[in-house]
Amino acid sequence: MAARIDLPAGGFSFDLAKRNAALEAQGATAPKATKTGTTIVGLVFKDGIVLGADTRATEGPIVADKNCEKIHYIAPNIYCCGAGTAADTEFTTHMISSKMDLHRLTTGRDSRVVTAMTLLKQYLFRYQGHISAALVLGGFDVTGPHLYTIYPHGSTDKLPYVTMGSGSLAAMSVFEAGWSRDMERQAAIDLVKDAIEAGIFNDLGSGSNVDVCVIEKNHVDYLRNYARPNERAQKEQQYRFAPGTTAVLKASVRNLVDVVEGDAMDITS
Amino acid sequence: MATSSAKEASFSPYEDNGGTNLAIAGQDYCVIASDTRQSRGYNINTRFAPKTFKLSDKTVLSTAGCQPDGNMVVTRIKQHMESYKHAHNKEMSTPAVGQLLSTMLYMKRFFPYYSFNILGGLDKEGKGCIYSYDAIGSAERVPCLASGSAAALVQPFLDNQVRNCNQVGKPRIMAASPVSHLSLDQAIKITKDAFTSATERDIYTGDNLQIFIVTRDGVEEQVHPLKRD
Amino acid sequence: MFLTRSEYDRGVNTFSPEGRLFQVEYAIEAIKLGSTAIGIRTSQGVLLAVEKRVTSSLLEADSIEKILEIDSHLGCAMSGLTADSRTMVDHARVEAQNHHFTYDEKISTKSVTQAVCDLALRFGEGAQGEKSIMSRPFGVALLIAGFDDDVKEGDGAQLYHTDPSGTFVSYKAKAIGAGSEGAQTELEQEYYDGMSLQEAETLALKVLKQVMEEKLSATNIQVASVTSEQGFQVYSKEKLQTIVDAL
Repeated sequence: MAARIDLPAGGFSFDLAKRNAALEAQGATAPKATKTGTTIVGLVFKDGIVLGADTRATEGPIVADKNCEKIHYIAPNIYCCGAGTAADTEFTTHMISSKMDLHRLTTGRDSRVVTAMTLLKQYLFRYQGHISAALVLGGFDVTGPHLYTIYPHGSTDKLPYVTMGSGSLAAMSVFEAGWSRDMERQAAIDLVKDAIEAGIFNDLGSGSNVDVCVIEKNHVDYLRNYARPNERAQKEQQYRFAPGTTAVLKASVRNLVDVVEGDAMDITS
Repeated sequence: MATSSAKEASFSPYEDNGGTNLAIAGQDYCVIASDTRQSRGYNINTRFAPKTFKLSDKTVLSTAGCQPDGNMVVTRIKQHMESYKHAHNKEMSTPAVGQLLSTMLYMKRFFPYYSFNILGGLDKEGKGCIYSYDAIGSAERVPCLASGSAAALVQPFLDNQVRNCNQVGKPRIMAASPVSHLSLDQAIKITKDAFTSATERDIYTGDNLQIFIVTRDGVEEQVHPLKRD
Repeated sequence: MFLTRSEYDRGVNTFSPEGRLFQVEYAIEAIKLGSTAIGIRTSQGVLLAVEKRVTSSLLEADSIEKILEIDSHLGCAMSGLTADSRTMVDHARVEAQNHHFTYDEKISTKSVTQAVCDLALRFGEGAQGEKSIMSRPFGVALLIAGFDDDVKEGDGAQLYHTDPSGTFVSYKAKAIGAGSEGAQTELEQEYYDGMSLQEAETLALKVLKQVMEEKLSATNIQVASVTSEQGFQVYSKEKLQTIVDAL
């Protein structure tokens, strides 16, 4: 009988918190988290919501991922852009997405944006800002289109056009200049693209490509890499190394599998 | 509880304005290149702030670190070179500027310029020469060098491609030898690839690439675009 | 003439109505009392030769030093109040070291000469308000010899003459001191371009022999050369003896 694998009970494990604090006091440094020093935006247009995000993930001054996804799925009619610590935004949205799924199964009704928003803000508030997720939540439900921002400490805003992340000021300048009520779909997408590009080019924490997600009544278009304004230039040279370029300092060969001659394979049909 | 304990006023005169420099010395040339982005935190101050300066027909100086400190170093070196010209009736040689810079930096040993300099050019025999400095004047002549925000990305690339480090069957150029064996054309290609690659992964590097090529005919300057994100 | 002299020859900062600085002129006169010193420049290097006045049989001739090293590529010969030259040579040495420290290269002969002459002028107030550091002009003339390494091939050897007025001039061959008039005439007749250092050595000693009161010997002269390979080098007693014998 196979041994049962015991999964830990849900929630965070704080087992090592005290030990780590003691180590840090002795001069050890905690591992750095990947941040999405980000530009994320959202706006309300005539027929729904457009969300946008850049695709750069950073680790300090280094670009960790040139084409990461920052628009996360919450429900078929709800998506959520995340800025902050990559792990926090990914796990938070994923977990809320699961809760929304269970909620739909229980109630037999389509999800509402306000439900996701409430779950997110209660969850983030519980951790007093230690979960660094700054979110732009957008969706279209039975009550119409809704757009929220959720801050890491749990506060929320409901606004017609919002920006978040390190590139939020650059993006907001574009929205302030170009947003109007009841915009057409293409105009709204273009404005979101411009706002994200403002972040990509003027904020060092943001970069690479533009992801867009258009949410309308009963219809979602996830436009991954809607714009790619930063293609890498052709390199001047090829850097291929002839086999044997790397010196072999020491070789040791071991037999990990004993091949035993057995019966021939049965290949009759 | 109201307390009135002593407060220490913080004084932080230094700032890192980012950016990367690179230099490769050859038998009869020296290539010195920098990106032109100047930043502060996550903001770009300007997309075109040169960090490399021509000092004479034989000498070029590039700075990285705190922009005002680097500018001050360049201004003072230029001033000194001018008065040297009048006092000794000749242009300062690159090794002489090299020594001068070292002394100048060490004089501020206990309140240093936050500036990481590369001095490049031709020596008295017309060979390429590069001097590497720390902020307080420790100097060394090297065949190739990277400094600034992407130095940790670019230096291993140069060690491999210019000095043939970790390549079995290729002649290794020692760190202490004065020049590489590359042709000028190869050196420029490596320079461009180093910067386009650094731009991909270092957020402080980008916008434009400025290349200075020092040969016996003088200093040629080229500017190429880099990615701006 | 006598009247104006007596009125205007005391202050070092006062011109006479004819435009003369008598104290400086007197200082130049003092050199003519000094022992003779000769410098000859060739493309291979510079030769310096001086006479030593051994006034007593009890005097240790070796203790008279009239040719001094400034740096490894610079030397100087002197005539006049040789005590004054200490100040100047010390200044030149500091200046040469300073240059080497700051620029990692050898100071040029001209620059070190200029530095010495700047000092020679410090009997008056300085142009930038520096304090006067001397009560009178120096009473010594120098022949500064050097070999510059960053000039055209064959142009390295340098010979400069400085006098108490702070003036310096470059020479192919120059004599200073008591026998300078006769010696200079002789040098003018005998010097020619393309002379070798060996020939300069013979010429210098020949001229010195003519103008010296005592009989020239290995003990009453001092000779030095500055070349590209050897730098500044004072001739050893043995070497002097051989060239004196060959004369």
